[in-house]
Amino acid sequence: MARKKATPTFWGYRRPEGPPGGRNHLAIVSGMDNSNPIVRRIGSLVRDATPVNTSFGRALMGEDEAQHWRVMGHTAAHPNVGAAIIVSLEPKSANAIAEVAARTSPWMPIEAVNIQEIGGTLSTTSHAVELATKLSDHLASARRVRCELGELTIGAECGGSDTTSGVISNPVTGMVADRVVEAGGSVIFSETLEIVGAEHLLARRAADRKTGRRIIDSAKRAVDYAESIGVDFIGSNPAPDNIRGGLSSIEEKSLGAIKKAGSHPIVEVVGVGERPKKKGTIFADAPCAGVENISSLAASGAQAIVFSTGIGNPIGHPISPTIKVTGNPRTARTMAENIDVDISGVMEGTMRIDEARDLLENELISVMSGKLTTSELLGETELTVSRAALSL
Amino acid sequence: MSRALVMHPKDNVATVLEDIAPEQNVEVEGNEETSTITATEAIPFGHKIALRKIRPSAKVLKYGEVIGTATKNISTGSHVHVHNIKSTRG
Repeated sequence: MARKKATPTFWGYRRPEGPPGGRNHLAIVSGMDNSNPIVRRIGSLVRDATPVNTSFGRALMGEDEAQHWRVMGHTAAHPNVGAAIIVSLEPKSANAIAEVAARTSPWMPIEAVNIQEIGGTLSTTSHAVELATKLSDHLASARRVRCELGELTIGAECGGSDTTSGVISNPVTGMVADRVVEAGGSVIFSETLEIVGAEHLLARRAADRKTGRRIIDSAKRAVDYAESIGVDFIGSNPAPDNIRGGLSSIEEKSLGAIKKAGSHPIVEVVGVGERPKKKGTIFADAPCAGVENISSLAASGAQAIVFSTGIGNPIGHPISPTIKVTGNPRTARTMAENIDVDISGVMEGTMRIDEARDLLENELISVMSGKLTTSELLGETELTVSRAALSL
Repeated sequence: MSRALVMHPKDNVATVLEDIAPEQNVEVEGNEETSTITATEAIPFGHKIALRKIRPSAKVLKYGEVIGTATKNISTGSHVHVHNIKSTRG
């Protein structure tokens, strides 16, 4: 009988409370689009600072405003962040985001800076740089310690999908997700439109009826919206190119997409950027587009994201290291600098599926222990916050 | 030998990893044991091959889940696609 493989550990930053980090960022977090240039400038002046830009943020109302503050506050309070400076145009948003962050990670040094009160570009930059150098000094004393796989929450995303995604990279991502969940950790997956067609099967995997109902409702909301703008989503899927690729039904297409989250019961459904209360397999009702999706997964607390891709996509998250995995031999060759884990050997007959799983799991451990991802190395990182409503 | 991947032990189809010609032998991997099946017809890369006989209106299983129902008799080794299965979602 094969000896059971020991659960791996990684070297992370232990926090006074909450999950450990795989990075110790000094995050300079923008509160709204108009503050991005100052945030970038601070990032260019302080060597250790990580600028985190945003989209929108100004003149939002109701749930839209709450969602924006939640995503930015949860990003600032991320386990991979050791200290944060929030920079926004005016005090209300700067303080609101700092409050969300402080509530989420009470241990974290957090500063809120606003451009109108401090007075313009130069004074704000100078003030924030001074704060940043002090916080950078504070972060320098942190040391990595041994942490358990079960202390991880990983995000699972698929983008630039093709036939190899559903057959190779999503199932392999799901196997690693299962290992994290079995060790006591969590996996968060989302992309609501991609569960449509298999939501009834996904709901059956829910740990309780309420969670199952929320899965069905999330899918229904997406389908109803498509219908309201004249799109028959179920009727138009699988699309002709999907059928050429071998997909025979919408259920098959969606099952291939959700395979990235593994096979365990779904214990909770959260909204965009919400932090789950439970551990295990979590569904986030969030959009499919890559940057929007990883921004939501990271805000929900994913310490790392596994990004399964077929035809390739260079993007990663600035705070949550994003591991690109592909089963497509052509992508592995033509976009090599954007791929972290090449499991195209499964396609070519040189790698078994369990070897692919081990390769991805080892990369997750290495990245959480400090190895930079391709998107971190190349600065291919971005964040955007999903809108809950129309711009007015 | 040409290869196909099966996603779950319950599945009655596997996905072929290259273009398959009629009468070609295909090695089916993914389960505990690897088996061999002979294709009855051409099957393009990424498409499905029947691992067992599937009767009309029987469930077609991939990922251990129902991806559709058979619309006609599907013999072992044949191409499984929109011409012989249909979605359960209407």
